[in-house]
Order: sequence, then C-alpha cells, then structure tokens
Amino acid sequence: MNHLTSETFDQNAKTALGDVQLRGALRNATSLFGERRREAAASLPNWEDLRSQARAIKDHTLSNLADYLEQFVNNAEARGVQFHWAPTAADANEIILAIATERGAHTVVKSKSMTTEETHLNDALEAAGLQVVETDLGEYIIQLAHETPSHIIAPAIHKTKKQIAELFTNELGIPPTDDIAELTKTARNTLRDRFAAADVGISGVNFGIAETGTILIVENEGNIRLTTSLPRIHIAVMGIEKVIPRFADVDVFLKLLPRSGTGQRLTSYQSFITGVKKNPEDEGPEEVHVVVLDNGRSRMLAHPLTRQSLACIRCGACLNACPVYQQIGGHAYGSVYPGPIGSVITPQLIGLQKASQLPYASSLCGACREVCPVKIDIPRLLLHLRAEITEQSPTRANKSIGERLAFKVWAQIMTRPGLYTLSTRLGRIFQGLFVREGKISDKPTTRMFTPLAAWTAARDLRPLDAISFRDRWSDGLKK
Amino acid sequence: MTQSTSKARETILASIREHLAASAEHDHRVGIDHSSAAVTHSNGAALVALSRIDLFKTSLEAVNGHCVVARTELEIVQALTRIITELKHSQLNPRRIALSDAKPLEHLIGLVAVQMDVTIAPSSSDLFDIDIGITLAQAAIAETGTLVLDSSRERNRLISLVPPAHIAILEAGNLYSTLGETLAALQSDDEISPVVTFITGPSRTADIELTLAIGVHGPQELYVIIYDGPPLT
Repeated sequence: MNHLTSETFDQNAKTALGDVQLRGALRNATSLFGERRREAAASLPNWEDLRSQARAIKDHTLSNLADYLEQFVNNAEARGVQFHWAPTAADANEIILAIATERGAHTVVKSKSMTTEETHLNDALEAAGLQVVETDLGEYIIQLAHETPSHIIAPAIHKTKKQIAELFTNELGIPPTDDIAELTKTARNTLRDRFAAADVGISGVNFGIAETGTILIVENEGNIRLTTSLPRIHIAVMGIEKVIPRFADVDVFLKLLPRSGTGQRLTSYQSFITGVKKNPEDEGPEEVHVVVLDNGRSRMLAHPLTRQSLACIRCGACLNACPVYQQIGGHAYGSVYPGPIGSVITPQLIGLQKASQLPYASSLCGACREVCPVKIDIPRLLLHLRAEITEQSPTRANKSIGERLAFKVWAQIMTRPGLYTLSTRLGRIFQGLFVREGKISDKPTTRMFTPLAAWTAARDLRPLDAISFRDRWSDGLKK
Repeated sequence: MTQSTSKARETILASIREHLAASAEHDHRVGIDHSSAAVTHSNGAALVALSRIDLFKTSLEAVNGHCVVARTELEIVQALTRIITELKHSQLNPRRIALSDAKPLEHLIGLVAVQMDVTIAPSSSDLFDIDIGITLAQAAIAETGTLVLDSSRERNRLISLVPPAHIAILEAGNLYSTLGETLAALQSDDEISPVVTFITGPSRTADIELTLAIGVHGPQELYVIIYDGPPLT
C-alpha cells in the first residue's frame, strides 16, 4: 500500500505532512531516540575520541577494502563458511534462492536485514513459492501489513498499537487487545512455530571481522539467535563495506552502535559466529553461507568524499536528528534507506536520475553530521550530489547562460561596497511590491519573477530591514 | 567454488581495486595515505571505584536482570532454590527445567529442594516445552552486566535462549572489568569458538510505540548467580 518511489519525493512529502497520526508518532519516536542517544553518549568521557577512532578504522579499511575482504573470506572459509559473491541485487537473490531450493527448503525465517530489503529478497523467494517469515517484531508487523520499514532500527514506528492490534486480530485471529505485552506475546507464540519448522535462517551482518573471519550480529529480541541457531542452514547477507580489520576493533564499534541507535550501553545480544559447528551433534546449523553483495557500493570507493558513505554502521541516529525526517518519516523517501544517510546512499546505489529529489530533502543544518558515530559529512555529500545532478541535468545548457549572468552580476555587487549599498537601497524600495505582513511569500506578484518564485514556492523570504546594519553602525552603534 | 562464483568474486574485487585506484589522485590531494598503519586504541573509560562484582550487579539490574552472589556451593543451591520457588509463584508457572551439559549443574540441581522435572541437554524439539534453562557462563563483563557464553565449552546456545527463564552461574574469577579486556581474552584462546554469545539482560523490544516489552523471542527473566569461592567440581 505504501510502495512509494523516490521519484515522487515532493508529492510523498506533502502527503506525509498531512498525516497527523504519523507526525505525532514521529515526534515521539525521534525525540525519545534523540534524548537517549545524548544521554548514552554523555555517559562516556571519550565519546569524541571513539567517533574519531571508528572513522579512522573505517577509512583505513575502505582504502584497503579488497585486501581486508579477502582476509575475512579466507579466514571464514578456513572455518567452513561457504562464500557467494553477488555483484548485483538480482545475483544475491538468485544465489539465495538456489541454496534454498537445492536443499529442498520450504520455510525461511529471517531476522532484520536492511541489505535484504535493498535486494527485495522476500519478493524473489515468495515468487518461487517459498514461505518467508520476518521474525523481528517490527518487521513481522509490517510484513503482515504488506508495508515497508519506515526507520532503520524501528521498522514499524509509523504504526500505533491500535493499528497493530487490528492487524493481529485480522491476520492472526486473536481477540482484540491493545495491550503491548499481550501483542508481543502473540508474536512470540506465533513465530515459535515458524522457527521450529524453518529449514533456512537468513540474517544480515553488522560487522565482518577480517582477522578471525567472524560475523558479528547485534540485536535485542533474540530472533537473530534463533534464526542463526535453529534452522539447518544459515545464510548471512553482507555488503562489501561491513568488514573491520581486527577483533579488538569490535570494542570501538560496540560502544558506538547501540548508544547511537537506541541509547543502550549494549543491546541484549551479540552473536559472534566464526565458521560452522565442529561436530555434527553440536548445536547450530549444518551449513553457514555468506553472500557478499556489491550492488553499486564499489563505485562509491572512487573518491574520498563518496567513499565515506560506506563507513555507515546503520544506527539510524541521523534519521532521528533530521528536521526533515522528523516531519515526513521514512516512507516519503521512497527508498529502502531513508533520512539523511538514505538521501546520500540511495542516489549512489540506484542512480541520480531515479532519486534526484533526495539530495534536496535537507536544510543542510548539519544535525546529522553532529550525531553520526562515524562522522560522515552528510551535508557535504548532499551538496556534492546536488552538484552532480545539476551537472547531468538536460536543461543545464538552457539555464546556464542566465544562471552564469546572474552569478556574474552577484559577484560584481558583492565585491564592490558602493554597488552593494546602492543595490540594497534599490532593493528596499522595490521589495514593497512583494512584502505582505512582514514577509515575502508565494503571491501572484512574486510568481512573475522566476528566480524569486523558485525561492518562495517552498518558503518565505525575509525582507530587507528598513535601516541596514551599516547605517546603524555609522549612526553611532560603533563606540 | 563454482566457476561463476569465482568469476563474481573477481568482478567485485576488481571493481573495488579499480575504484580505489581511481581515487588515488583525489586521496593524494586531501592527504590520505592508504598504507597508513592501523589505528591504535585507547582503552576506554576509567572504571568507577566499585568492585567488579558490584559493578556487574548494578549494570545487570539496570537492564532488568537479577544477580545474587554465592560464596559456597551451599549458597548456590540456596540461591537456585529461591529463584526457582520465586518463578513457581510467578505467572510463568514453570513445570520443566533443562540443564546444559556442563558438569557441575547436574550435581547442584540434585541438591535443590524443589520438585520439578529436570532434563539434561534436551533435543531442540523438546526445548520449546522447557520453562527454565540453566547454564554456566564462561565469562562476564562488569561494566555492562554482560554474560559471555562459549558454544565449544558447553551446550548452551538454545537452553539460554528458548525457555522463558534463564539462570546462569558464573565463577567470579571469569569476570572482566571492560568489554575491551573481554575481547582480548576471547582472542587469546587458541581459536575463537564457532559461536560466542554476549547476553545483557532479558530479551527486549520496543517495536510497538517504543514501549519496552520484556521477553519477546528470548527469556523474559534472567538470573545470574556469581560464585565467589573455590572451583566447582
């Protein structure tokens, strides 16, 4: 029902702004997450050092990514993990489907993985007749509702408990209740049967540790532990950027990720999986597979600016801090990854043309950069993408003469104080044509002037003051 | 590895190397040195002046777990009795207990004066009927209240996860102060076990209206008995 695309972002955003319930939910969620993050970060005296360390580790790894990736693969292969390489999303889905069908699998349980959201794995598996069950509570809710996640770490924050209760009554036949503990218990009981019946468990990967070949997955519910322990086959899907060099590096990232995401010191569970079990009678799956996904990521390595997009550890802090996300939520972005980081990686993953509005979904206030645990300069990346979009725009040739002229004039005025004073005086006289109630708004008069109309279409412009600061200064403010 | 897999592997690795090579001129301008040595760590925050055991207890209780300290084998048995009795009077209404295959557990549970059905290392199909799972913990982290379970030392993966209540017994000597120390200790083993699990409090979710609900897929009750005495047999 809500499968929007990035191409219609402006319209999606307008629709979202009219959704009172959504905006209430977003206000609660983003402010609560933000507050918890602030407290959790403040509880560590060396928070800023940790951010710098994490970024330095990521930069170092990404600059040597092929080597670390090979080291990770070799070490995990030596412990019995089977590797598969997927240049594209379609390749990843095909590989996973083949593993499942070759082994006669019918039921697949999944733990939350943004990477498999990116490849639309569920659709691919279901089209082939497999039963796919999301087991993270939030993901389970949106799967039942045929929706998509609206937040990286809280997929169903756009829904109220009342809506979820209705959904459970309709889909699972439970008596109506809006008691959250009761709803959670229902999901637990329903999903237990699925876990018991599943042949394949599919998970994501938070970190792939090169030095030991270990996969680290982080969670709170326990569904990842079940997904990776009960079915006879475990398939983990990881983007190429998830590698970190050393086991000791986990220290830095486990301090940053939970605190930035949910404000916890540690999430309830971390699973460190190194290879397959040693003896057939041991607990755990018989086979462990890792699917390594590129899908446009390696392109981002080609410049230090874009490369930092791959440092993201998917904590969701930038979503909560973003004044745009706070108002419109995740669905309006029309992409798997929403919010500031989504506006950066989506155009790079799916192409600028298909997501050309996303880099503009920002006021460039810098709140995302402030909270990012790996210090990604998101505003600068957004500007970089905007420049690329302008560069590639088919209308650029027509616009450029007028635009160039406008900037020439602007440069002349700004570098000549006399000319500047004159033009602001003129501005003060002529702005009278547009000013209504102390502001320059979208009015028939403003719409006649193209450059002005482009600004006022979405925001008001503050008129020039009757007396300029320079005049006040020379009139005696200077003392 | 099939031929198509090895081709895909080469495709991705070549794409990574090519794009990084294309970045070289930009990197040079901003002063990035690809060969720079790996980054060094600071060892994190200084610990407050609490004993490790007290710190563990405080941290675990902050995330809805329970913790008791036992100095003798008898005190472990008393603690187990008290916890199981407490659970018996809770909504959980337990009937069956499962133990991991760790040696000391069978002996200890034999001394507990609560009549309950006890299974040792049940099969995974039987596990869903168990109400209380008892394991050891191979290590723990004081600063976060975290248990460390090692799959190669004990059959603990599912018993610590599937039953609605989990009781873990930890020897105080295996309690580390920080996450960093614990990671270093794990790595100093000959090789890392197939699965190492960190457990910090009971299973939790806040996926519905960000309201905390305890015990979604894993245990809703977590008890840790820290044993500070001579080695268990």
